[in-house]
Amino acid sequence: MATDTSSGVIKQGLVLTCTKCSTKNFLDPYPFWNFSGNTKCATCDTLYAVKFVKGQQVSGPTASTGKADLLPGYAEDKNGAPVTGEGKIRPAPQSRPDPFTGQQKQVTKSLRGKPLSGSRLKKEDLVGSRARFIADLHKV
Amino acid sequence: MATAPDFETYCQQLFDHKTAAGKPEVLKGYRVLSCTQYILGPSCASYLAELGAEVIKIEAPRRGEPMRHTTPFNEPLLYPLSRWVPEAGTGLGFFGANPNEEFVSLDFHRPEARQAMLELAAKSDVMVQNYRPGTFDRWGIGYQHMSKVNPRLVYQWLGGFGGWGPGRVRASYDILGQAMGGAFGITGEAADRGGTPAKHTIWLADYWGGMMAAVSILAALYWRDTVSGEGTFIEYSQVHGVTRQLESALPLYGRYGVRRERWGNWDTELCVHGIIQCGKSSYPDSKNPQEAEVGYILVSAHTDEDFKKLCDVIGKKDLATTFAKHDDRVKAENQTTLYEALEIWAKDKNKEDVATLLDKAGINNQPVWNAKEVSENPHWKMRGSVQWIDDPNFGDLHHQGPAFKMSDTPPRIKWALKPVGADNEKVYGRLLGWTKSTLAKMEEMEVI
Amino acid sequence: MADMKHKVLSWPAVPIPTPDEVYAGLTDQAKEYPLSLEAQLRQSENFKKPECLTTIRVLDLSKGMIIGNWCSSMLSELGADTIKCEPPDGDPLRWQTPFGRKEYMVKDAETDEPIGLHFLHEMRNKQSITLDLEKEEGRELLKKLVVHCDVLIENYPPGQFDAWGIGYRQLKEINPRLVYAWVGQKGQWGPSKDKPGNLDPTAQAACGFVHGTGLPKEFGGRPTRSAMWMADHVGGTATAMGILAALIYRDKVSGKGQFVEGTAAEGVIRILDYNWAWYGFDGSIRPRYGNWDLAINIYAVNPCKDGYFMVGGGHDRLWYRIWRTVGQTRSDLEDEMLDDKSLRVVTARLPHLKQVKTYTILADWQKDFSRADAMRELLAQQVASGGVNYIDEVAEDPHFKYRGHVDEFEDRLYGKVLYGTTPFLAHKAPGRLKWIGRPLGYDNEEIYLKLLGLGPTDVAGLKKRGVV
Repeated sequence: MATDTSSGVIKQGLVLTCTKCSTKNFLDPYPFWNFSGNTKCATCDTLYAVKFVKGQQVSGPTASTGKADLLPGYAEDKNGAPVTGEGKIRPAPQSRPDPFTGQQKQVTKSLRGKPLSGSRLKKEDLVGSRARFIADLHKV
Repeated sequence: MATAPDFETYCQQLFDHKTAAGKPEVLKGYRVLSCTQYILGPSCASYLAELGAEVIKIEAPRRGEPMRHTTPFNEPLLYPLSRWVPEAGTGLGFFGANPNEEFVSLDFHRPEARQAMLELAAKSDVMVQNYRPGTFDRWGIGYQHMSKVNPRLVYQWLGGFGGWGPGRVRASYDILGQAMGGAFGITGEAADRGGTPAKHTIWLADYWGGMMAAVSILAALYWRDTVSGEGTFIEYSQVHGVTRQLESALPLYGRYGVRRERWGNWDTELCVHGIIQCGKSSYPDSKNPQEAEVGYILVSAHTDEDFKKLCDVIGKKDLATTFAKHDDRVKAENQTTLYEALEIWAKDKNKEDVATLLDKAGINNQPVWNAKEVSENPHWKMRGSVQWIDDPNFGDLHHQGPAFKMSDTPPRIKWALKPVGADNEKVYGRLLGWTKSTLAKMEEMEVI
Repeated sequence: MADMKHKVLSWPAVPIPTPDEVYAGLTDQAKEYPLSLEAQLRQSENFKKPECLTTIRVLDLSKGMIIGNWCSSMLSELGADTIKCEPPDGDPLRWQTPFGRKEYMVKDAETDEPIGLHFLHEMRNKQSITLDLEKEEGRELLKKLVVHCDVLIENYPPGQFDAWGIGYRQLKEINPRLVYAWVGQKGQWGPSKDKPGNLDPTAQAACGFVHGTGLPKEFGGRPTRSAMWMADHVGGTATAMGILAALIYRDKVSGKGQFVEGTAAEGVIRILDYNWAWYGFDGSIRPRYGNWDLAINIYAVNPCKDGYFMVGGGHDRLWYRIWRTVGQTRSDLEDEMLDDKSLRVVTARLPHLKQVKTYTILADWQKDFSRADAMRELLAQQVASGGVNYIDEVAEDPHFKYRGHVDEFEDRLYGKVLYGTTPFLAHKAPGRLKWIGRPLGYDNEEIYLKLLGLGPTDVAGLKKRGVV
């Protein structure tokens, strides 16, 4: 990421690249826009003191002690692999107990257990009437 | 003679959504062409479809319109997208904006399409479109062309900024309309309380904008059919609609130079009339974060009498004396004091505890309900505000009811949506007389 | 405030652009289309055109909630002869003013009576009469009035009018052509029917809107109401649809009116897109997602140098244009995003963590740009974008001023009032503003004399007895 060393301080902006493990920690704009305190690298737990005012990094990141006040919203390690998990990044908003997969869900029954056409079909599934199709779903 | 039922029973029978199917429809016999995508245009046409109009939704062949390809976190979809692509589905982003419609596909760029459009318009009452200004005119299917083949046509254009003026070339989306129009900047917690501007988390400018356009279409039809016999061109700019909603903000700025700012969950004109945080969750054991979160409730006690009762309930009789007059309560600094006192009182309660105590004292309140609480609420279920429908294409769907009720000619939900091009044969065959071989040719050429 | 010393600029502070300025640099051919639209739609031409609803008379008896006023405004803007009928001490809204500040009210030239700006904004094209429905004599007068009306709007507690003998059941016997509309927060029947005094945002909280609006807990946010009585606007608009539909059916088919019920909550439930379908699909409870979107990316408002800024790129072509724009000053950010193969199609960007990445990088660019500068950069690439406007910026936006979205009206009674104009622009029969509002009971004489054939002494008698 862009670094500005002109002032002697490494300015990294909202993407904090860990000096130890090169993980990119994404300090998402809403929580971090005006923030002063500790955050930490999602991979190696190195603590950094940062201070943002209107999204501009006015001090830090500098090594710090204590505990993280706010975790990154997301992180990717030096190979670009996602770093996730409790205590690593802040939890994602969820609508269900199980986390979002981001994959198309395959569902054949509605919440109340009646047939629902919520999964991938094949050409032959379309032969005949929809009534036939829904009757078939009843058998699933 | 049977005695008249009490008023509530009378209303319940009169407005029962389960009897809607047996009642006549207002717009039966009106045909609407919906050349729309996203939400603003589609929703406008769908309100007419709920009233019984024959709405023909015209989409791009094969993939359909873009909203079919949006769904929350890419998870829930309804299959098939079309008979050509059974393995893909329609995302729920499309849901709620297209009920009761007939679905045909047509590629507007093609000369064959222009001919079909002219013939369809000649047989229609309303045309709704939300392409960039001037695009349909360039394709020879603008108001200037359509009004020649059908002077009775009500031609509705909807979009972000309108087709003329300095911003006419700009594309828009719902949240841009909210942002530019002013509603976004005044919603949300104040900056000194750590807040930011907040969008209305519905596509308010789109869905409600579509409703505004539907109002003007109905008025234009009324004028056409009872007075003039003439169609018209109507232009709805969604950013204009949002500005219309700003209540006192514009006159206040114009007269006194005062800029309305955010005031979070409280009310600028009434106090106590605000949403407070309760310290506890209603479902402390739930694994769903939406339920595990602490509760919130609207407390409304702005009259002197109610306020006094509220002070008794929270054990702060001193406040009733200090802020006996509404003019005092509603002052900004005093609102802060009062809501802080309420939140301290509610710290060891969940929203139902608070509601029970306030109900007992006869104080108005409304817990902040989530989508599940609304869906399972007996009031909304009885009224059909949310309802399970037996959709002929997709099966068991949970659907919102129409936005208003009518005793004699109720709007209704018949089906949620259909696959792309599902009604090609029916519509083109019946209205344009296309034969089986014409349909096959058009499909092969990807005109439809 | 009385001690306010700041100078208030007259509107517009910056002159409204002229057509020559707006269309400068365009060829005659390119100018032709927008100019022909202007000729058809300009609001300055409105008074040369007819109105859609001039044959309709509306009696609006609602009070204390904006839903009824909003509903009748939709009709009055489109030409309906609209009478706002208030209790003798006025609709409580008439006296409401932000933070109780009387100095923010305005007075009319004839009676010097103050009026709250919120109420004034929805008094457009309406006349004001008073009538005490608590009195038997008042209710008898109402029965005479409705004979002359096509539409009645009321929002009294459920069953109140019925108990008084002036409900739908009774009035339809007097005037079978009457379209009777009840408006409220949650309805006049059902287990949680309206309690007296329920006001927006009751509906907003009861329909799932508040739960879903505002930043998520994970971002430090809480459920948030609309700053406006938004649910009333939605419910009022929906009810206006119902009323117009009932009028069409009456005049084309049945010859009879009917009962319409509109609620603020159900208006919003209707437009809460996939909330209900998603719950029915797998039990999902829509989470708050702040100023980002659950179903589209890029489609969000994020902070920037001088406020908040929206960027929209709902499809993949725009994705490249957005990062190309960013790359002009921050090639590192452009590379970061375009190198990530997992982000190339819109559906792949929807999982939350991808959204965090996208918007963190975008915000890192935006933080160095003002709203105006960011917009200039992105519009050059035809990317839909724009700042979150504050009210003064809304009032002065050149596009809004040019098209008359915001305008100043010189009212005979209230002087110059800046207001949001009707969005019903049309070629043949557009909406319009004829007057901004009326003092309480200003039209008593005219209406009672004209419609009921009462004489001036009769009206004086009614006044004396406190009926009007």
